[in-house]
Amino acid sequence: MNARRFVDRSRKDQELAEEIESHLAHERDANMARGLAADESRRRANVRFGNARTTRERVWRYRSLPWIEDLWRDLRFALRALAKTPGFATVAVLLIAVAIGVNTSVFSVTDAVLLKPLTYPDPQALVELRNLSPQGSFPGANIPKFNLWHQQTSIFQQVAAYDFGGSGLNITGGDHPQQVQGIHVSADYFAMFGAPVIAGRTFTAAEDSPHGGNVTVLSYGLWKNRYGANPHIVGSTIQLDGQAYLVVGVIGRGFVTDTPADLWVPFQFDLNSKDMAHYFTVAARLKPGITAPQANAQLRLSADQFRRLYGADSLPPGAGFSVVSLQESSIGDMRTPLFVLLGAVGFVLLIACANVANLLLARAAARKREFATRAALGAGRGQIIRQLLIESLTLSLSGGAIGLILGFAGVRLLLRINPGNIPRIGEDGSAITLDPNILLFTLGISVLTGLIFGLIPAISASRPNLAAALNENGSRSGMGVRSGKLRSVLVMGEMALTVVLVIGAGLLIRTFLNLQSVDPGFAMHNVMSMAMSVSGDRFQKTGPVAQVIRDGSDRLLAIPGVLDVGVSNCLPMAGGFGMIFDVVGRPKGNSPFTGGAGFYSTSWSYFSTLKIPLLRGRSFAKQDDSTAPGVVIINEAMARRYWPKGDPLKDKIVIGPGAGPAFAEGPRQVIGIVGDTHDGGPNREPFPIMFIPLAQMPDLETALNSRVAPLYWFVRSQVDPRTLVTPMSAALRDASGGLPIAHMRTMEEVEARNVARQRFNMLLLSVFGSAGLLMAAIGIYGVMSYSIEQRTQELGVRMALGAQASNLRNMVIRQGMILTLIGVAIGIGGAFWLTHFLASFLFGVKPLDPVAFIATPILLSAIALASIWSPALRATRVDPMTALRIE
Amino acid sequence: MVMNRPPDAGEILQGTLDMLILRTLVLGPAHGHTIAEAIERTSENALEVEQGSLYPALHRLEDRGWLSSEWGVSENNRKAKYYQLTSKGRKELAAAAGRWRRMTHAIGLILGESFE
Repeated sequence: MNARRFVDRSRKDQELAEEIESHLAHERDANMARGLAADESRRRANVRFGNARTTRERVWRYRSLPWIEDLWRDLRFALRALAKTPGFATVAVLLIAVAIGVNTSVFSVTDAVLLKPLTYPDPQALVELRNLSPQGSFPGANIPKFNLWHQQTSIFQQVAAYDFGGSGLNITGGDHPQQVQGIHVSADYFAMFGAPVIAGRTFTAAEDSPHGGNVTVLSYGLWKNRYGANPHIVGSTIQLDGQAYLVVGVIGRGFVTDTPADLWVPFQFDLNSKDMAHYFTVAARLKPGITAPQANAQLRLSADQFRRLYGADSLPPGAGFSVVSLQESSIGDMRTPLFVLLGAVGFVLLIACANVANLLLARAAARKREFATRAALGAGRGQIIRQLLIESLTLSLSGGAIGLILGFAGVRLLLRINPGNIPRIGEDGSAITLDPNILLFTLGISVLTGLIFGLIPAISASRPNLAAALNENGSRSGMGVRSGKLRSVLVMGEMALTVVLVIGAGLLIRTFLNLQSVDPGFAMHNVMSMAMSVSGDRFQKTGPVAQVIRDGSDRLLAIPGVLDVGVSNCLPMAGGFGMIFDVVGRPKGNSPFTGGAGFYSTSWSYFSTLKIPLLRGRSFAKQDDSTAPGVVIINEAMARRYWPKGDPLKDKIVIGPGAGPAFAEGPRQVIGIVGDTHDGGPNREPFPIMFIPLAQMPDLETALNSRVAPLYWFVRSQVDPRTLVTPMSAALRDASGGLPIAHMRTMEEVEARNVARQRFNMLLLSVFGSAGLLMAAIGIYGVMSYSIEQRTQELGVRMALGAQASNLRNMVIRQGMILTLIGVAIGIGGAFWLTHFLASFLFGVKPLDPVAFIATPILLSAIALASIWSPALRATRVDPMTALRIE
Repeated sequence: MVMNRPPDAGEILQGTLDMLILRTLVLGPAHGHTIAEAIERTSENALEVEQGSLYPALHRLEDRGWLSSEWGVSENNRKAKYYQLTSKGRKELAAAAGRWRRMTHAIGLILGESFE
């Protein structure tokens, strides 16, 4: 196609006119030369040429894109038509805007979590190393595994280890100490993730080996905020946990990891270590051309090699290694919830579509004569459909534009209600940005909705019976059986969709209430938890740590209002450690050890502070320290599982048999049994846990613990513990020689975080369900009101013939309720199938919960009845005389 | 009667008008009226140029860059727009003529001796 033809049309048309004029003149000349009279010459020339205007129009059309012009004309017409009914236009646009808005917000979260690639260069090649077991695959690695994987150079370009979460480090020196997120990494970490180095360099292999010295790499944020973007920071030293660290480099701003880090320090693994404790994550970059299945094949061989090197016990039979795409792994279990939410908002959109289609049908019925007139003037059926579709697309695109804005505001609002650690959305959802995906999505659903709700009325309206429509003298004599039926079908569809949404919301509400009513097994009221990072050389042995705990406990107890103080290396309901154990003297059978359980190290007063009941035996005492015989307390779940008949208090257990030198220790006497706690969250059964005194940990275990986890202090007070924050942090700083306190949270807040996901799901689905309810109510109200209005005449005749008001009212109610009940029945059927997708979110309630399945239809029918009531009453007020005189 | 065309004067086949215009302009620049006359005269009045198609065709050919045009004064001392073949137009004419000959040859083969 040649673009030249579209430009400068008016001038070219003018030229053509002159050309034609010139042609006619020459023809006249020729005719006159043949001896014709002037008049006859002119006439013949004109006849011969034909209609000059037609020629010009032909050229004009050839110089235009007809469909664009038609579109433009239809669009102007649509805007005029909509402007004439501003009420209708506003309601329709708002309905669409809200529906598209919620879709856009849910999609933008989905986009950030599921669809956007990782921000690292060439992210497809990044994989996480996993441990395979018959129970599934889980991340985490120990030094021997890392060492072996690191040697698989045929499949991996780089292999790097990094902390799960990190214990936090303390920047000391300067005016105020600060707890920062320090992540231990191995040397290849930065190269593997393609981190941009903006100053200095990253760690060398020598720096990442034992005795490699104290070196650190700073993040852009820390460099900027704490060091004022000092250009000479590289080469200077900063104080971390009272030790001087040499800053060797600064990483650029674009580098954002899933666990945000302020600075990095090298792991400095001793690769000869046989320490079997898993305390870090390993990821790798695949060599170009290597696929995940190829890597997995190689890793199967390396699992055998691992057993040869470290003994059969090092890797249980059936266990092995594998890789999984890093993106896949970071999404975790968010896929299903997001798809469920997308499905739910899709329903909201469909309900809105049905409502707008209903409005359009009513409008089309009122415009019957207009269409008939146009058809009579020669408009084809296609042209009328096009005109109506452009009207509906105008509505849906305007709605979509507003919806985009609403959706973006909505996302911020959604994330404000703490959705509970959704991965990959960045700090407060900062990773959710307006990108082409979202724009395309919103545009796509806007067009789609416009077509869906526009096509039905357009097709039904474009089938006019010309004579009938033009002869009618008013618009009151009925809207035609067909569009009446259509509207009823739409209302039934709305009802059905709403039933599904509300049943889903009902199930989630019940789930949330059930979770709330679970007794966690420990006190939450007026209990504060605080994290203290005991990193640094001072805390490599158990003695000094125990000293800080004793001192800190004493100082905290001295604060007026403090009732009890406990310490642990695990925060209940936020994840903890686990370990294998043997019962001394018990045959192990086929397994290399008796079993596994949660493994907490606590201070003597942990149980009394959290009011965890002591069921048998005795609790820890201050005297249970490294000089006293080893003791362990187990919970009820552990006693039940491993001593179904025997008496645990008569037994001794060995913790961490063969788990490496950090856990090498003698047997411990079981001295007590405590009550179960829902540490894995209220929706999980309590699992077995063993507790040992913090003061009795082997030194190496303390050193490991200090590296990977903070100490959690628990303070139960008489008053609201938040009022004691200042004296409590001062007391702990004094006791620890200046360590800062972080993550101060009441246990109620900890618990709220735990059910945040469920709360978030429930809130969203409730909002969607209510929106659906509202729209369905409006829908049925609209249909019934409209049908009463259309049937004024019929009702008048009935009344004139002696029908009672109550008969008419009941007739209208019956008709409305039939629609409702059919819709509800369909919806229940749909919900039977769809609620199975919710099964994994539910707790204490089945997908086919009778309460939800019975209450929802009743609720919906009641709302429908209320919506029908006023149109029904209006039917009884029809005055037969007026109704008949209208004709 | 001035119009002494035979009653079976053919309409120009779709798509061949362009070629005929280009061929006519090989002889030199001409305006619309001359082009139409030349085609009719050269074909011994066997072909009739429909005036309503001529000008759209001229404009189309010009937009494709096969013709150029400028206003001038005609033999009758009237203002007229003269069209001239461009080098692109010459190439197109050669190609179109080749296509046409191949086609008529093929059609001749099919129609066989009855065509003779």
